[in-house]
Amino acid sequence: MKSSTWIFFPFIILIIAVVLLYPNFATRQLELVINPDYKTLPIEESEIILNNFIKRWKSDYNSNGKYTITPDPEKGIPENLIFTVTGRFITSAQINQISQENIKLFLESKNILIPTEIERFLKKGKSMTIKLGLDLQGGMRVVLKGDFENYIVKLKSLYTKEISDLNEIISSKDKSPDEKEKAKKRLEDLENSFELTETRKLIELEKAKLIIDNRLTNQNLTEPQVRIQKDQDSIEVALPGVSNSTQILEILQSTETVEYRLEEPSDGERRGAFERVIDKEEDELVSSNQREKTDIVKFQTMINNKASKKAQDEFLNSLEEKYKIPSDKFKIFAYWARGSKPNSPLLPRKFVILEKAIALSGNDLTDARPSYNSNNYGWTISFSLTPAGSEKFLDVTTNNRGRNLAIIWGDKVISNPQINGPIAGGHAEITGSFTQEEAMRLSNIISEGALPIPLSILEMRFIGPTLGIESIQVGFKSVFIGFILVMVYMVFYYKIAGIIADIALLSNITILMGLLSLMDFTLTLPGFAGIVLTVGMAVDANVIIYERIKEELEIGKPISVAVTNGFENAFSTIFDSNITTLISGILMVRLGNGPIKGFAITLCWGIITSMFTSLVFSRILFNLLLNLTKIKSLKLGFKSIEAKNV
Amino acid sequence: MFNFSKYKYISLSASLVCIIIGFFITYIVHNGFAHSLDFNGGLRAVLQLSEKENKESITKFFDSNEIKAIVILIDREKNQYQIDVGLDSIPRIIDYNLKNSTIESKANKQQKPKIEEFILMLTSGIGLVNEDILSADEVGAVVGNELTSTGISLLVYTMIIMTIYLSFRFQFKYALGASFALLHDLLFTLAFMGAFQIKPSVPIIAALLTLLGYSINDTIVIFDRIRENLGGKNDFSFSEVMNISINQTLGRTINTSIATLISIVAIIFGGATELFDFAYVLIFGVFIGTYSSVFIAAPVVEIYSNLEKKST
Repeated sequence: MKSSTWIFFPFIILIIAVVLLYPNFATRQLELVINPDYKTLPIEESEIILNNFIKRWKSDYNSNGKYTITPDPEKGIPENLIFTVTGRFITSAQINQISQENIKLFLESKNILIPTEIERFLKKGKSMTIKLGLDLQGGMRVVLKGDFENYIVKLKSLYTKEISDLNEIISSKDKSPDEKEKAKKRLEDLENSFELTETRKLIELEKAKLIIDNRLTNQNLTEPQVRIQKDQDSIEVALPGVSNSTQILEILQSTETVEYRLEEPSDGERRGAFERVIDKEEDELVSSNQREKTDIVKFQTMINNKASKKAQDEFLNSLEEKYKIPSDKFKIFAYWARGSKPNSPLLPRKFVILEKAIALSGNDLTDARPSYNSNNYGWTISFSLTPAGSEKFLDVTTNNRGRNLAIIWGDKVISNPQINGPIAGGHAEITGSFTQEEAMRLSNIISEGALPIPLSILEMRFIGPTLGIESIQVGFKSVFIGFILVMVYMVFYYKIAGIIADIALLSNITILMGLLSLMDFTLTLPGFAGIVLTVGMAVDANVIIYERIKEELEIGKPISVAVTNGFENAFSTIFDSNITTLISGILMVRLGNGPIKGFAITLCWGIITSMFTSLVFSRILFNLLLNLTKIKSLKLGFKSIEAKNV
Repeated sequence: MFNFSKYKYISLSASLVCIIIGFFITYIVHNGFAHSLDFNGGLRAVLQLSEKENKESITKFFDSNEIKAIVILIDREKNQYQIDVGLDSIPRIIDYNLKNSTIESKANKQQKPKIEEFILMLTSGIGLVNEDILSADEVGAVVGNELTSTGISLLVYTMIIMTIYLSFRFQFKYALGASFALLHDLLFTLAFMGAFQIKPSVPIIAALLTLLGYSINDTIVIFDRIRENLGGKNDFSFSEVMNISINQTLGRTINTSIATLISIVAIIFGGATELFDFAYVLIFGVFIGTYSSVFIAAPVVEIYSNLEKKST
């Protein structure tokens, strides 16, 4: 080495790698936040829940006494409503387990692994521990299918008014041909926009993926992988380590949008004409003591029995037929509300008839937040409108004074206030009987943007690790033992040089792992195989170098010359073989998918780090060895080759 | 010094014969590659077993009925197992149900969905009640046909780019040799997997990719030595230089192979039964990768350079 300062360079890299890996082996703190509802439970019930947790903690979560929990749960719930668990190697699977098995005690979304300083500094607190993929630790797999038919229907209803206006212009006699031409063109454009090409579908899926990704990342518990499955128009969400999270499913399922529709005109009465027909029919049934035969009670029973979305839609459609509601103009919805008791569920309470055309869509709304309104309905959501949205809103409120404007969340009408006058300025409020959580969820949906396409759950299941927990554990252990054996073999065969090779090997793995955790890489089984291959190639590189040095020694070169020549001769071999493998690795990253890609990413980075450690790092170590010890003979292999050291 | 060059035609034709035999066995004897859930889809159930039952008893039940099932322990504490059955086992499941059904149900036998047949077998055969079957569904392939097509295009692109790189760093004939070796290893391993009916799965793909990487690496090491030796010694013929180079790198070849094999054999001794296939393919790959560098890649280069010499 010409410049002695360069000697420190690899060591610095190694130290950086160790620092990057620090969050993996550091003592971490996990905050378990008590669910506020827990305090409202009757004493007996809450004691049972807490005792259950203490029992599980002793027998399961902390069966080997690795973790400590403060304050001691046996002394009751702490003032600040937080239990802190301290220990090493707290996995996300464990956090999920604790959260989900004690859902009444802890607030799942608030439980958090306190980020280390390094994570705060480098990733703004985002986790930097090495993540294991679905195939290594199991978890939840959800496939969501993009419902493009429904999407088109929605899109059309958004333009219903404009289309009918345009048709009017085209058919009317007193418009100029110029205007008619323009209207025709606009109509064509609109119709084209209803045609879905493959690329457009992909763009919409891409948008949906981004939103799902955001929603899940905000949950900070899981390490979600969201992928588009192009040929099935679907999005696959993998949640490693999650065994059964109700909350996460709700987040995924909340594909509902928010939209505004006008209620059918009521002509001065309290309810519209069709609505009055329905009311009359239902009232008659109630007064003849046949409450259970009313459609609304039937619908409520369906909801309580968790009827599928499809069944609900079919039921509503059958009502439209029953009451002969013109489906080109109106659509029947259910008005949802809570009962008078504080904890009563959200259920359909009456039917409302709304216009088919959407007056204001979710895209016109921005920046929503929940707010508490003490004298009124409890939680409400205040929001701002986009410039175009405010214009539309002003338009609607000006032209329809006295009519009701319904706010629809998904397919539930949650409030239909009367329009008292024009609303300008682009600020408004959604009232409805929300709980705090619902208000929060809805405002998140509005702020982040609703999913561009309705998604239906195609498949949702818990999957075990591909090979089973047993095999994974045994497999990891055997790979580890194999690795130790290889290191022992290197020392056995190459003696002191073998130790250098082993040091280089360990640094290679450390640097590679540091890089991967910096890149947020999720380790899967193929990825693991990629690492094994690079370790093999790193061993190979050292073998090549030592065999070269041995050859030099055999023809009688002094040690220092032999080492220098050995490294230089080996360089082109290692370089070419690694670069050729790297090329195929890069191609695999670019072209491959799924397992091939996971393998290729670790392979590519592994080749880079192993070239560095075997060509630069082990050479520096070798030179240090020669300079520091003034070694007289170097034993490589079983034949001792005595060499003069000059 | 061992004369490797002498055996080139034997080794080339031996490999070809082996590959053909392998594929012959695969397609004629076994009717194609083994079915696997990852590639073909199948039926999957998660079972809650009682304390007295374990993996052995379940496996024994399936074996005794000649149904190929993969039994995986998912939760040791709760004694939960995942059972995977390929679509090819469905006729046997139906047979089993017919054999064990009562006379009246035989009378009104009708085609039931596959998954119901599967559940019926699980309940009657292992004595489970419906609550013990935590889930049972028909699952689609994880890696579908797109993997085959991307695999082929990947192979073509890799060979093209590798050829360009090696032609630039070495000569075209080396690129030809390396491509031949790569193709040889891939076909040979596929023939091996087909002949021994190793189920192609995601871990097996990883093993396949690993061995191809290993093989490329091994080939280049020998080529590099030939290139270096040719630079100084023009008085030797190409086959002599090749022979010398292979012999010179022999120490490295053996040492690297041993080091790699140690770590793979550890998987088998570790006893992770579900990783055995992965380990077998890798062990096979180490041998085939080492073999192909010496007996396929180098001879191809030699034959090509002999042809070159003749034409000039």
